Amino acid sequence: MTVAVEYYVLLSMAVFCIGLMGVLTRRNALLFLMSVELMLNAANINLIAFAFYHGNLTGQVFALFTMALAAAEVAVGLGIILVLYRNFRDVDVTVPTTMRW
Amino acid sequence: MAAYQLPQWAALAPALLLALTGLVLFLIDSISPRSTDRTLLAGTAAVGALASLAVAVWFTAAGVGTPTVDGGEGVIEIFDGQFVVDQLALYFMIVVTIVTALIVVASYDYLAGHTYQAEYYSLVVLAATGMATVAAANSLVTIFIALELTSLPSYALVAILKDNRGSVEAGLKYFLIGALSSAIFVYGISLVYGATGVLQLDSIAEVIADGGADGFGGLLGLGILMLLGGIAFKTASVPFHFWAPEAYEGAPAPISAFLSSASKAAGFVIAFRVFNVAFPLGEIGNVIGFDWTVAFVVLAIVTMTVGNFAAATQENVKRMLAYSSIGHAGYALIGLAGLSADGGELVMGAALMHLLVYGFMNTGAFLFVALAEHWGVGRTFEDYNGLSSQAPVACGAMAVFLFSLAGIPPFGGFFSKYFLFTGALQAATANTAMLAVAAALVVNSALSLYYYSRLVKALWIEDPPATRDRLGQPTGLYAAIVVAAVMTIVILPGFGPVAEAATGAAEALVN
Repeated sequence: MTVAVEYYVLLSMAVFCIGLMGVLTRRNALLFLMSVELMLNAANINLIAFAFYHGNLTGQVFALFTMALAAAEVAVGLGIILVLYRNFRDVDVTVPTTMRW
Repeated sequence: MAAYQLPQWAALAPALLLALTGLVLFLIDSISPRSTDRTLLAGTAAVGALASLAVAVWFTAAGVGTPTVDGGEGVIEIFDGQFVVDQLALYFMIVVTIVTALIVVASYDYLAGHTYQAEYYSLVVLAATGMATVAAANSLVTIFIALELTSLPSYALVAILKDNRGSVEAGLKYFLIGALSSAIFVYGISLVYGATGVLQLDSIAEVIADGGADGFGGLLGLGILMLLGGIAFKTASVPFHFWAPEAYEGAPAPISAFLSSASKAAGFVIAFRVFNVAFPLGEIGNVIGFDWTVAFVVLAIVTMTVGNFAAATQENVKRMLAYSSIGHAGYALIGLAGLSADGGELVMGAALMHLLVYGFMNTGAFLFVALAEHWGVGRTFEDYNGLSSQAPVACGAMAVFLFSLAGIPPFGGFFSKYFLFTGALQAATANTAMLAVAAALVVNSALSLYYYSRLVKALWIEDPPATRDRLGQPTGLYAAIVVAAVMTIVILPGFGPVAEAATGAAEALVN
């Protein structure tokens, strides 16, 4: 017996919304990064569930690419957060306010 | 007909040359990691960008990508249609490589005394590779990967002045919003995949036309909206424009120029290709219940109004240019807003022309700011007072850029805006909302003249402060600014071929 595809979509939307809430409410840059990771993985759940549903492998292959790119993004992001810490002695995203509109 | 046939993959040569240049720069860096030989590094990057530009121009002239009925070589599909080299792809490769070449030449002086020379140039060239690849990408997979190849080096480039708090702050904000929007973009892709079961753009259109997505209208509509969000980030349009003023102000000025011209053009090529090829108007309206032009009409009006009104209140020159670049994204969005099921190639061609002219005038304007930062005169309008008495050539070029950005007749910016206006009026016969867009274009252009001429007044009419050191004449920056200014002017007599290339690319895409 297999699980219907709707439940996968519901799960992925829940994960996506948790990630989005994290992005909107967290002030720590590292937690922000983790929340974005949740959102990307929500997309992966979708891609794999739909690949199964449609019976082709396109989605699964794309999910692999997404993971690799997520890792690359984290690498660049951690670098930026590191220089942020060196300059501002904090990883709170609300601290750097040298520019205001 | 060529005497011998190049292999298919050679059609991607502009992007491949850029990638090769990036690798050569890494090689130079690994051989002598401490070297700050600016001439070698900037020279390599500039040669690579210019070679790529030359190949793209040659391909266009030779008819690569032009449909065979028009006497061309036909559209070239690579890797089973994952990439497609057509007129649109080559057109945007030209825009990107021009901007890259200008940036690299200007950076020669801007980066004097900087520690991370080789890294800087290789990141610039790699980001340009991503932009050139985006232009040819024809599947949501390749689009996403090429987009990330554009974004990731850009984050690092914005934050490359590691001890400058403004630069780091700008890099952080750009990265945070960029990561968020790429997550939204990839989620949108997953929803479109769920509704259609394919990722290649023309296959998506086929599935939609066959009614394969009929039960999934909501999923598909949500997916399209999320794709739109990712594109809005890349083009710095409302609602994802918040990063732009911060990132442009904090970043090194050549990088601001790079992001606001080339990166924006890359975002627009995605928008043009995805929405025209994958979601053709008419059919998509039956599935999701509305036409996406509505979204673009709203976005175009809001983006140009927000950008121009915010620019009018700025005191900082770089920030003013950042907001004006948001306004120009709104002008280019007219190209998508004006499409209809049976036409709109005029307005879309106008948007393509605007992006090319914008590549010169906006890059030039940001490079003038780079020059001012190099002189160390300050950041506000008042700090720029009377610079013309000390540097008349650069200030003359800046006046050309600003009047062209405002759309004053003798310069290139006037023509592209004029075409956008007539295109919008023509599209209004099919969609009356375009009248509002055309009106917004005129009102915003008039408003933009206010803040652009304020800067010209500061440069040319105000008296210089008594205490200002003699200003140097850095060769690279001057060369890039003068070339950009000359191109902004000579694009007027040379407008025929440009307009032809742009409308050709638009026609091939729309029909």
